[in-house]
Amino acid sequence: MVELKIVTFRDIFQYEAQRKGRYSEEYKKLSAQIMLDNEDLEKLGIKEGGRVVVKNGNGSVVVAARLSDDEPHPGLAFMIESPWSNQLVGDPAEKTCIPELKNFSAEVEPTEEPVTEIGELLAMMKA
Amino acid sequence: MSVCTGCSLLCEDIEVELKNGAITQTKNLCRKGQAHFQSLSTERTSPIVDGEQASMEEAFSRAAKILEESKRPLLYGWSSSSSEAQRVGVDLARRLGATLYGTPSSQGLLLERVLAGRLPTCTLDDVRNLADLSLFWGSDPSNSHPRLLSRFAYYPRGEKRQKSYEEERTCVVVDVRKSATATLCQHLIRLPPRGDTEFISALAAVLEGKIPRTGDKKRMIELGTLLRKTEFGAIFCGDGLVCSLKEEADLFQSLIEQLNNIAPFRVLPMVGHYNSRGFNQLLLEQTGFLNRVSFQEGQAQHSQEQSIMEAARSCDAALVIGSDPLSSLPFSVARALAKVPLIAIDPRRSLTTDAARVVIPSAMYGLEAGGSALRMDGVKVEFQLIVESNLMPDAEILKRIGEAV
Repeated sequence: MVELKIVTFRDIFQYEAQRKGRYSEEYKKLSAQIMLDNEDLEKLGIKEGGRVVVKNGNGSVVVAARLSDDEPHPGLAFMIESPWSNQLVGDPAEKTCIPELKNFSAEVEPTEEPVTEIGELLAMMKA
Repeated sequence: MSVCTGCSLLCEDIEVELKNGAITQTKNLCRKGQAHFQSLSTERTSPIVDGEQASMEEAFSRAAKILEESKRPLLYGWSSSSSEAQRVGVDLARRLGATLYGTPSSQGLLLERVLAGRLPTCTLDDVRNLADLSLFWGSDPSNSHPRLLSRFAYYPRGEKRQKSYEEERTCVVVDVRKSATATLCQHLIRLPPRGDTEFISALAAVLEGKIPRTGDKKRMIELGTLLRKTEFGAIFCGDGLVCSLKEEADLFQSLIEQLNNIAPFRVLPMVGHYNSRGFNQLLLEQTGFLNRVSFQEGQAQHSQEQSIMEAARSCDAALVIGSDPLSSLPFSVARALAKVPLIAIDPRRSLTTDAARVVIPSAMYGLEAGGSALRMDGVKVEFQLIVESNLMPDAEILKRIGEAV
């Protein structure tokens, strides 16, 4: 397990996939991933494309681990803003009402579980 | 020429060819705009009441009933509706004694100061005509506002910028990562997460001719030299900056004041949705507040502390218009919203429409309906419909719900 700081960002290709189909495989593939530094991939003992569970006090999701194209940034990971990353975001700060999208911590661990489906995320919201 | 409502640049140079009323060819759209136009034919909604297909009339009357029975309704979204629809929305909120909440764009923090005249701003046309320096701070227009660099900030020739961009314009990115925009710009200042306030202090020191205490000193001095040589600077502020600044907006403001002692430096908040600025300006004009307001006590009230979490937890029904909060908000907020009776007005299927008790399909503004909106810099842009459709625009839907209540 490694503890990482996560920053989210926007991606035009993922936006395009979302407009084509929010429930599509392509949208899931582009959203449900976390970009890691090679050092962190090694610490986790997994290869590019391996699955990890990312969890914190707010929630937990299974996503694919990718090697970041922006190395080095050990201890820091990036996720594209999506319902998957939002699962891990805490309540907005009271004073400014700004959700903490750009900076949250989570534990990352290798897993055999399949990548979380968007339908599962919706089911969790409704539960 | 048509207008693209894919983002808050509202590009007005879109050429569209039609055959039998359908779009066959477009020119000048970016990838985002192209995806927006193509989504005319994917995942469209149809009227649904309690999980069953229904007529529009049934959907209106069920929506009206939910709102009538609600003691604390929340009306949420608004940044993807025309200015005309937003106006109807504010009236409806007033009548219902509802809480009105715009998509909680973090940009409100800076937009508030821009609209109050505390942060100097300019139009995108000023940027094209005058700017020799654009600073993208926690913003990545290549992904969020794809044609910003080609239409305004970097590549075009403008009145005072007749030479090519290599000679006359400089672009700087300040970000935690090497974004797509950063690969196009000459300078990247990389910050640690939440490192913006420290960066501001370091930059302020450099501008005063001092050696900065933190950060890469050489690069900071280089940046200081660059800024001192600037004739007209445009600072494009993204969520990366605003999320990091939080309560430190005063610090940012004093840096801008300091920069304006050198040359005009203008602040442009990068609101995302095509009419987010319009909603905020309308709300300010009508109520004196930005982003959110409650009419529960009759008079417009705005609480600084009322976060979207509070609003989601305290409402007992919500009308969501042109927005998908279940996808875009933190899980705890999405969860609170998913628990109350939802009315979703949306042209397209989303997690929110899938969780809603009533779904009302709407026309896509700019494609199936005309209207107007405010571009990210506050310039009003009018748009016409491109393709005919039987779908109602938001303004009409809200009127019909209002009549049924």
